[in-house]
Amino acid sequence: MFKEFIQGLSITLKHLSPKHITTVQYPRVRLQVSDRFRGLHRLVPTQDREKCVACYLCPTVCPAKCITVESAENEKGEKYPKVYQIDMLRCIFCGYCVEACPVEAIEMSGQYELANYKREQFIFDKKRLLETK
Amino acid sequence: MVNLTIDGKQVTVSKTATIYEAAKEAGVDIPVLCYAKKLLPFGACRVCLVEVEQMKGRLIPACTTPATEGMVVTTNSDEIAKVRKTVMEFLLVNHVLDCPVCDKGGECDLQDLTYDFEVNSNRFEGVKFDLPTDEVNPLIERNMNRCVLCGRCVRVCDEIVAYGSYSFINRGFETKIATAFDRGLSCEFCGQCLSMCPVGALLPRPFKFKARPWQLKEVDSVCGYCGNGCTVTLGCKDNQVQTIRFNDKIGVNDGNLCVRGRFGYSYVNRDDRLTTPLVRKDGQLVEASWDEALDAVSSALKDGKAGILSGARLTNEELFLLKNVAKTASASLDHSGGECYKGVTEGLQETLGLASSTGTFPQVEDADVILSIRSDFYETHPVFGMVVNQAVKRNGAKFLVLSDKTGKFNKLPDAQTLLTKPGLEVNVLNAICAALLESGQAKTDGVSGVDEFKSALADYAPAKVSAQTGVPVEAITAAAEQLAGAKKGAILLAYGLPYTAQSKELAIAAANLAILSGLAAQDEAGLYICGEKANSQGAIDLGILPGDGLGAQEQLAAAAKGDLDLLYVIGEDPMTSYPDGAKVEAAINGAKMVVVQDLFLTPTAEQADVVLPAASFAEKDGTFTNAERRIQRVRPGITSPGEAKSDFEIFTSLLGRLGAQVSYTGPQAVFAALAAENGEYAGIDFDAIGPQGVVWGGDKLAPKQQVLVSVSGLQPVEARFQLVTGSALYHSGTTSTRAKGPRAVIDEAYVELGREDAAELGVATDDQVTVKANGNTVKLKAKVDNRLPKGVVFVPNHFAGTGLNKIYQGAASVAVEVTKG
Ligand code: SF4
Ligand code: SF4
Ligand code: SF4
Ligand code: SF4
Ligand code: SF4
Ligand code: FES
Repeated sequence: MFKEFIQGLSITLKHLSPKHITTVQYPRVRLQVSDRFRGLHRLVPTQDREKCVACYLCPTVCPAKCITVESAENEKGEKYPKVYQIDMLRCIFCGYCVEACPVEAIEMSGQYELANYKREQFIFDKKRLLETK
Repeated sequence: MVNLTIDGKQVTVSKTATIYEAAKEAGVDIPVLCYAKKLLPFGACRVCLVEVEQMKGRLIPACTTPATEGMVVTTNSDEIAKVRKTVMEFLLVNHVLDCPVCDKGGECDLQDLTYDFEVNSNRFEGVKFDLPTDEVNPLIERNMNRCVLCGRCVRVCDEIVAYGSYSFINRGFETKIATAFDRGLSCEFCGQCLSMCPVGALLPRPFKFKARPWQLKEVDSVCGYCGNGCTVTLGCKDNQVQTIRFNDKIGVNDGNLCVRGRFGYSYVNRDDRLTTPLVRKDGQLVEASWDEALDAVSSALKDGKAGILSGARLTNEELFLLKNVAKTASASLDHSGGECYKGVTEGLQETLGLASSTGTFPQVEDADVILSIRSDFYETHPVFGMVVNQAVKRNGAKFLVLSDKTGKFNKLPDAQTLLTKPGLEVNVLNAICAALLESGQAKTDGVSGVDEFKSALADYAPAKVSAQTGVPVEAITAAAEQLAGAKKGAILLAYGLPYTAQSKELAIAAANLAILSGLAAQDEAGLYICGEKANSQGAIDLGILPGDGLGAQEQLAAAAKGDLDLLYVIGEDPMTSYPDGAKVEAAINGAKMVVVQDLFLTPTAEQADVVLPAASFAEKDGTFTNAERRIQRVRPGITSPGEAKSDFEIFTSLLGRLGAQVSYTGPQAVFAALAAENGEYAGIDFDAIGPQGVVWGGDKLAPKQQVLVSVSGLQPVEARFQLVTGSALYHSGTTSTRAKGPRAVIDEAYVELGREDAAELGVATDDQVTVKANGNTVKLKAKVDNRLPKGVVFVPNHFAGTGLNKIYQGAASVAVEVTKG
């Protein structure tokens, strides 16, 4: 019985050695998330506008119904999203919007630090989404 | 009937059915792209290929091949699927991949078929089309890069609308649909083509990028403009009517609409809708509470002598309540100006003992002789005009138009215009009756008043009338012969505000002719009386007529003399649309109090003492009765802006204030009450009014009596120029002048001249022209075309501020002076 006890404790002791620490000292240290991580959305920009053509597929597919798109015509006669907004409080980070987009205009970034002080700050409008890194 | 087998199912169908139709009957779905129910088979796309046992070796298009006895059809096999998929690949070779930005996405047949056939890649390669879009007109966008050359637009514009805007040009890969000289679309803008286009090649511009089809709430209602009563499906979002959706499943119009119905909805969304009651204080109209405004109206109704002028775009239920308001307050009640509605009603009562059309619209489609009086119907009731067109074009009906101008249908192969001098339609009708009696073709069994009628016709011998009106004698006698020989004939008469003159006479003359030619007693079709407004027939059925009280003109006269304490105008703009503007102005100034209930601050409302904000057709629940007696449901798609209330609510509040005991729970209850009071509506249940409506009196209403009544026509007006007024195709009443669609096509009044007169005056389209009569002048832009004969000018009656009713005082034609500048 004593033997088993030592065995178990040795594993614990092994993990105490610096080589084996898995806890990260957040926020001083941050983990590198996987490329497929589903964090805060990013609207992909092109030279002079957003890539999104306001096709309404993402608001349609979104199970949380948290995307608001309003389409309009710009000076060049193109369809563009006059309003594009995601309510991050309701988003469930499923990534369906990314999958639905026919023009790859929306992506999900590695950002996961989304805490904030006010409800309104969770509403990400077009400008903020375009600025997402 | 033929028997055939489709996918193992036995079906019996009519000899004229195609394989596609037979399959539909058997409940087998065959995919189609270029096929459309209301168009003739075309066979352009080859998506509908099937196998027929008897025609082995190749695949057969189901939409064009007639079903024959003993056919054994297979609609689905590996080979068929393969070929259909190949057809799709061909269609997609040069089709741009615009789905994300194409407004058709979500209801596009090409998208759906591509999905169904799992066309994920294409074995063929080609250059994508790169043609410029046609945006020269404000209503319809044409993007020929998305066109699949199904020809539906070409066919509908030709077969149904009879306009013929489009045709195929070029050959092979270069083939495309083009307008004349490829200059871009400029037409009537009925939008039939865009409703037919299976892809996003033709799209409504006012709806561009507004929403996806699945986001719209669809509400089936009835068009609020004319008496045709077309079903419109409102596409609503964000409490606005965003567009009118295509719907050929319900109603009488087969999905057809005119420019007003399809593009004329936007007035309901306007920012300048009235949103609060207004009351005049110190000479200014200021916002007031409903209580204050209604108290003012009800005390004036209670205490004084009141006259009520109603429009005919209120629902039946509202009209019923209004009638109760009038009764409770002992006020005079009439609807719309002039004596037109009253005249038509009285005339028909005297002759046929009814006050409505005898048949339904679909019955006209296979009529063999059609006589239309005063307009070729295209301007007043365009969608009924399309039915007439089909009768003539498809079913070979003979079409006679008795009018002072030629119209669009004049071009049809079997159409003939009896072109009369203005205002003399009654004379010609009398002459046709005379010809019938003279030749012994007249049907006089069971008809009373024949002898008196005969002797009264002495003045209307065809030769004499011909000399007077300019209609050739042969045309008169030929018309008589055709009408007498008709197995299923129809006489059509449009009436309304701009056609005030001789309304009773015309109704009688038309009824006389219907009796003598045997049309009135036929099993189907017969006489059609078509009102100007959406619920004109309902207003007549409910008796919104003066009765013992004062009629519209008498009310105005009394008001002008200061004998009326209250003039209450509902849904009308008499200052603009009633004949004799001076009289209306005097009445408005003379009445002690004027109340206007409307959507907008119209010229009449500006003069009022109290203005009540009302609801549009898109905000109402109830029923309209169209010109063929069809009672149809009107449903609300949006809510009224601000504090505006429906006429229903306003009248109920007024009734309460007047001390009447009413507690209607809604339109159902009111409909039940009106059905109980009104014999014709008896037994009709509000909730049972289905998608096709209910035609009161049945599909054919037999005349109660057949009495010939003699009427006299007018003497021709002798003048170098005569002015006639009426409806322009793009507009209806004054409401449409506030809608972007119709306005985009015609946004101001004009004076129309024939080529000959224009040349003589040296006037070209858009030049300014002065029209002078009755001591007044109006200046308008000229519009020169081929419709009018020499000496006749036409001014539409829709626009406020033209001053037309200064010179038009209700006569059939007005002698005018026309000069350039
Ligand atoms: S990730 Fe999912 S829930 Fe969040 S916006 Fe996209 S579709 Fe909606
Ligand atoms: S699916 Fe893509 S293109 Fe369409 S609205 Fe969303 S982000 Fe824009
Ligand atoms: S809008 Fe009407 S008239 Fe114009 S092209 Fe289309 S179908 Fe023809
Ligand atoms: S424009 Fe539309 S309706 Fe006309 S041929 Fe092309 S696809 Fe067919
Ligand atoms: S205005 Fe008349 S013809 Fe045109 S869509 Fe409306 S009801 Fe039909
Ligand atoms: S639907 Fe039959 S050929 Fe197009």
